[in-house]
Formats: sequence, C-alpha cells, structure tokens
Amino acid sequence: MDQEPGPGTGDDVTLAAEAVSVGFDGQAVLREVSIEVDTGQVVTVVGPSGTGKTTLLRLLAGFRQPDAGTITWEGRDVWSLSDDERLAVRRRTSMVFQEPSLFNAPVLENVTYGLRVRQSWAERLRGRLRSLVGTRPTPASVETALETVGLADEADRNALSLSGGEAQRVAFARALAVDPDVMLLDEPTSNLDPRNTAVLEDAILRARDRGVGVVIATHDMNQAERVSDRVGFVFEGELVESGPPERIFDHPTDPRTRRFVDGELLYEPDDSDGVVPPPPSPPGGN
Amino acid sequence: MLLLQAQLPEGGWTYVVSIVVVSLQVSVTAVGLSTLFSLPVALLIGFTDFPGKQLVTAVINTGMGFPSVVVGLVVLILLSNSGPLGDLNLAFTPQAMIVSQFVLATPVVTSISLSAVESVGQPVRDAAYAMGGTGTDVGFVVIKEARYGIVTAVLAGFGRAISEVGSILIVGGNIVFSDGQSYTRTLTTAITVEARQGRYEVGLVLGAVLLVLVLGVNWLGSWIRSRGRGRGTT
Repeated sequence: MDQEPGPGTGDDVTLAAEAVSVGFDGQAVLREVSIEVDTGQVVTVVGPSGTGKTTLLRLLAGFRQPDAGTITWEGRDVWSLSDDERLAVRRRTSMVFQEPSLFNAPVLENVTYGLRVRQSWAERLRGRLRSLVGTRPTPASVETALETVGLADEADRNALSLSGGEAQRVAFARALAVDPDVMLLDEPTSNLDPRNTAVLEDAILRARDRGVGVVIATHDMNQAERVSDRVGFVFEGELVESGPPERIFDHPTDPRTRRFVDGELLYEPDDSDGVVPPPPSPPGGN
Repeated sequence: MLLLQAQLPEGGWTYVVSIVVVSLQVSVTAVGLSTLFSLPVALLIGFTDFPGKQLVTAVINTGMGFPSVVVGLVVLILLSNSGPLGDLNLAFTPQAMIVSQFVLATPVVTSISLSAVESVGQPVRDAAYAMGGTGTDVGFVVIKEARYGIVTAVLAGFGRAISEVGSILIVGGNIVFSDGQSYTRTLTTAITVEARQGRYEVGLVLGAVLLVLVLGVNWLGSWIRSRGRGRGTT
C-alpha cells in the first residue's frame, strides 16, 4: 500500500467485494456478489442459513481468494498486493465469529491478542517480561473495549469459564480493541439471549459512531432493521437486492426478498426447484 | 541398612548417585532433543493436509510400540566401527544411549503432541488469523492452547526413556569404571546387573529410586492435565 492511514484518522476507507464468486467441490456458493462498506457505516447481509453469508465475510477477511471477482481495499485488489501489504490490510479489519472462539487464557489476554500480534517480537518479549513482574499497563483501547461490552470487571477471569453471552461479548471486545477500520461480524448474536444481544447491538452502534465500518451477516431481520445503514439480501449465493433497511423490509422489489421478509422459509434441502444446497463443509460454516 | 551398605559395589553410595545422574542426563537430553524435533513435526502434520497424512500418522503411532531391543540393535549397527556412522566413535557411550532413547521417545512425543495440536479447533485458529495473526502467530496460539497435551507428551516420552532397558543395554554396554562411577550404566540396566549378581537390596533401592522418578513424572502429568481441565470449566 502506498499510504496506510492510521485508525481514527477520519479518512474514509472502503472494503469491497466486487462481483465475487466462490465454489466448493465444484458447487457455487457465491455468484458475482458485490458489497462494500465505508467507515462509520453498518452494512448487514441478511438471508437464510446456507446461502453464503459466512463465505462472503471470510472473503472480506482475507481467508481465501475468490474464484472470480476482486476484494478491494481503498480501491486496490488486496490479492494483487504483496504478502506484507495484504497483512497490513488484514490488520485494519477484525472479525467476530458465530462461536466466540476464545483462547484458554484470561479475558484480558484474549482482548489484547490483536494488539500483541501487531507488535514486533522484541516488543512482545518486553511486554511478557513486564507482565511477569506485574508492571504491564493495560492498553487504553483494551480498557475501552471491555467497558463497551460491560466486562471491565472480568478481565482476570479465564475466558473459558464465561457464559456464552459473556464469551461473545469478549470476542467482540477482542475485535474492537485493535481499533479496526472495519469489523466483520458473522451471526454475532445468533446464540445469545435478548439481554446479551442488546448489549452487543449497542456496542456495534457505538463502534459505528466512533467511525468503524461494520459488516454483519445475520438471518435476524429485526436486528438488521435495528442496526443497519444498508442491507443486502443474499439468497442462493446471489445478492438479490440491497438498499436502506426501510426499503428492503417495507418495500422489497424482489419476490424472494418479500418471501424472506414475510418469514417464509426459502431454503429447501433438495435442489428440486433450483435451490443450491449448502456446501458439504465449507471452512467456517455457511 | 548395614546389609545394603555391605552389598554396595565399589564406590558405595557414589555408585548409586552416579547411576541416577547418568540416567537423568541421558533421558532428559534424549527427551529434550525429541521434543525439539517432535513439536515442529506435530505442528506441520497438524496444520497441513497432504496425500498419505493418515499413513504418516499411523507410522508414528506404530512407532510408540517399537521393540526397544530392535531399536538398540539397529542403532548399534549404525554406530559400530563397521557401521555407516562408525567414524563418530559413539558406540558404548552415553551419546549412543541418547540416540537410542531419542528414537524410542520421539514417536511417543510426536503422537501425543499431534493429538494435542489437532484438538485445537479450527475456530480458534481462525480467530487468531482474523485478529491479524500471521501463520507463525497462529502456530504459537495452537501451541499455547495445546500446552497441557504437549507437556503430557513430553512427560510420557520421559517415562518411556527413563524406564527403558533393552536398547541402552545394547548400545551403552552397561559400563562402570573401576572406582564405581557409572559411565553408561543407568537405573534400569543396573537393576538387571544387581539382580543377576544376587544383590537384591541394592537392586531394590535402585528400583525404588526409579519408581519414585516415574511416579513423580506421572503425578506431574496428572496435575498439569487436571489444572488444564480446571481452568476450562465454569
């Protein structure tokens, strides 16, 4: 990258998928899907399970290269960048998965992980030595992230001893603590109770207000309506339509979107009517 | 005690202490080298998919049951004066015993480490990667998550090495200097000698020391495993 503006500089950045297609075992999972997110904006990808939402987020996170189309950062194809440049781009994003996927370590260590990997090995070693003698200060962004999800008092608890809701909030704090330009959230509240869902949605909106771009994959239309600036409806691996949430949910133009909004189950397990079944076991789920 | 003192060979308690020291030196060195070799191998196999992966895993697991005398024989053939590595003059030295124990411990350490590495789920690796980790960072996360299993692997390898007798008897020669200092005699090989010569009390003392060492290692392994389980529950 020619120039890498730091987090919070106010420069708009755009992470975009442009006509990306992906298949697993010869079966199309995404077909020419385009989506983009700017800083300070929440974009939600809605659709039934098994339609490629997770695959789309994993493409945006740099887990793999699309079979066709491009993933761009500030207009540049990230897969045409050098490894170091692509790593720098990856480090301007962070991701929360459907499962918290926390490490067997204290909450604080989990939340600081992203900051540690951004340090040089010498800095990490110095930090480790400081923590051994108990003088290692907690980074401000980590404190803020833990406060945002309401877990500032749980920093010393082992992450694996947390409830599901708390664990997912820690996962969100871990992603927020690196001060990302874009956060990718894959079904972040699908396993949570209403209270934890409300805490996370509030945290998402607060992150957006601080200028973070957010992409959420969810099948929860109510959540999409509550937090989104733009919504895209994905079905059978295609982006059917996209727009402001009020238009998508109140005046959908495509009959498939209308059926989904009306609560009809669109996914059918066989392909008798042309519905593409989910891939056998694509990395990361749906 | 007096009977035991009377039965001790030349060197008295120095004899016993030197045997313990040689045993520990050989086994700790062999398992240390084995760990340095096994851990990257376990990570490599655990992280990658390649044709024949199951076969490689099966061969490693089979290695855990290598007959030690066969290993000793092969190592001796390789290290003997007429063998391909004869120029190194390692036959009947502690170094030869280390080589032999390395061969025996490595499948144990590799196999258990591999299980530990593979038990770290893909979601945790994905999380490390998605937070900006490089391949090396993800590797360190996996090692850290698998740490209890890896420690168990190392201790199991040590248990296999310290209690081994057949191969080190062949490659080490069970040598003691005339002043009673052990050169290649270990706890296990000494016990066979003491039993053959009818010095049962000395054999029992050496056996007790060996038992304490093995029990200590196993207790340590159990404690570490239980600590890991304890940290992972509510």
